[in-house]
Amino acid sequence: MTTSEILATTQALLQGLGTVITLFVVVMVASLPLGFLLTMLARCRIAPIRWLVNAYIYIMRGTPLMLQLFFIYYGLPFVNDFFKMALRSAMVCALLGFSLNYAAYFAEIFRGGLLSVDKGQYEACQVLGLNRVQTTLYAVLPQMFRVALPSITNESITLVKDTALVFSISIMEVLYYAKAAVSRTGSILPYAIAFLIYLALNSLLQLFFNWLEKKTAY
Amino acid sequence: MSLIFVKNLRKGFQGVEVLTDVNFQVDKGDVIAVIGPSGAGKSTMLRCLIDLEKVDGGTIEVEGEPLVKDGIYAPPAQVRRATGKMGMVFQNFHLFPHLSVRRNLTMPLMKVKGTGKEQANALALETLKKVGMGDRIDAMPSTLSGGQKQRVAIARALMLNPDIMLFDEPTSALDPMLTLEVLGVMQKLAADHMTMLVVTHEMSFAKEVANRILFMCDGTILEEGTPEQIFGHPKHQRTADFLGNNIK
Repeated sequence: MTTSEILATTQALLQGLGTVITLFVVVMVASLPLGFLLTMLARCRIAPIRWLVNAYIYIMRGTPLMLQLFFIYYGLPFVNDFFKMALRSAMVCALLGFSLNYAAYFAEIFRGGLLSVDKGQYEACQVLGLNRVQTTLYAVLPQMFRVALPSITNESITLVKDTALVFSISIMEVLYYAKAAVSRTGSILPYAIAFLIYLALNSLLQLFFNWLEKKTAY
Repeated sequence: MSLIFVKNLRKGFQGVEVLTDVNFQVDKGDVIAVIGPSGAGKSTMLRCLIDLEKVDGGTIEVEGEPLVKDGIYAPPAQVRRATGKMGMVFQNFHLFPHLSVRRNLTMPLMKVKGTGKEQANALALETLKKVGMGDRIDAMPSTLSGGQKQRVAIARALMLNPDIMLFDEPTSALDPMLTLEVLGVMQKLAADHMTMLVVTHEMSFAKEVANRILFMCDGTILEEGTPEQIFGHPKHQRTADFLGNNIK
């Protein structure tokens, strides 16, 4: 391959970059708060709510993400007309499937963070007169978040790589374009380029989280 | 009227009676040392007063208002009002590790009492100076020694202007040097007529700073009196035995 061919192939692959970034950003924005909500609901005083949340996390973590995507994209539209209309776009299905799946993982990560907050912190808050919401907001959450951060970094990096799964519900992203270029040119170089694109994305991500960890250190 | 009035207080954990029958009162300006062997129920008693533990029976009144009467708790708002008159200092400080010393002091005040930022900052500096920590106002707790942390914790409790300060073994996690600096701060508080209830193993503090001593044993107050009475002429053999180990 000549340099110009490599450039052209890279350019072709970068067409899929928008999809990867959209997936990443939307899923992070949706699943982090959703995961936190699940963590809170898993501590709810009403037992059936706790059971439901735990069952949800159990199922989401216990089955393949690709199977979940298939279920949403190929399966749900058969259920009724509403799903048929709502889930016409593969991208909507992907965003939904990824967010629901990642929320379960984040819920467990936050739970771990919550467990690490010392009982004394709650007692200090109580004797200082802070109510439950204030205690959570100003004492527990910042400490929980800091403990959870390395695991959140880990999950985010996995998410970038997992976006390649949407290939299976016919969404065109970096891996799709790489495969197409390989068939077209007969060279495996496009795979190497895809390799570097994912690596570059995760390098940026890692830099960001390293900065965040330093900034929130205490 | 006494600031704290306790009658027939009972408390158990999973069938084990920790407090069998506790009766005492705290008057304004009292500096009371609560001493006794480990497992006597000293800390549990203190924690019941500020509602960190629920009692099984008995009465606690704070400034005439019942927190719990004959084992029945007052409505939450009244409980909060009663416990709000007390500040508490823990053995392990429990500072907020993610907040600077300044924010440790100002955050509760601003959130609970709605005090403005400038006013809270000014009060924080003034209070930190009282405990000799004025120069560390922007430090993070992780950079402080144990004694410094405890002094900050005392300042944080003082910020809410309590009528009574409860201390739960405030120097038990500190080495002798750091213990001295914390006891110094507490002595100063006592000199400023702060009403204090101190669970402690520091017999020198009990002897020299307290005006009254409660000797607790087996979940009850076995003996109560001035330091001279307790240290000089203990009435009970258990008291004498306990102090025998502590006389220098």
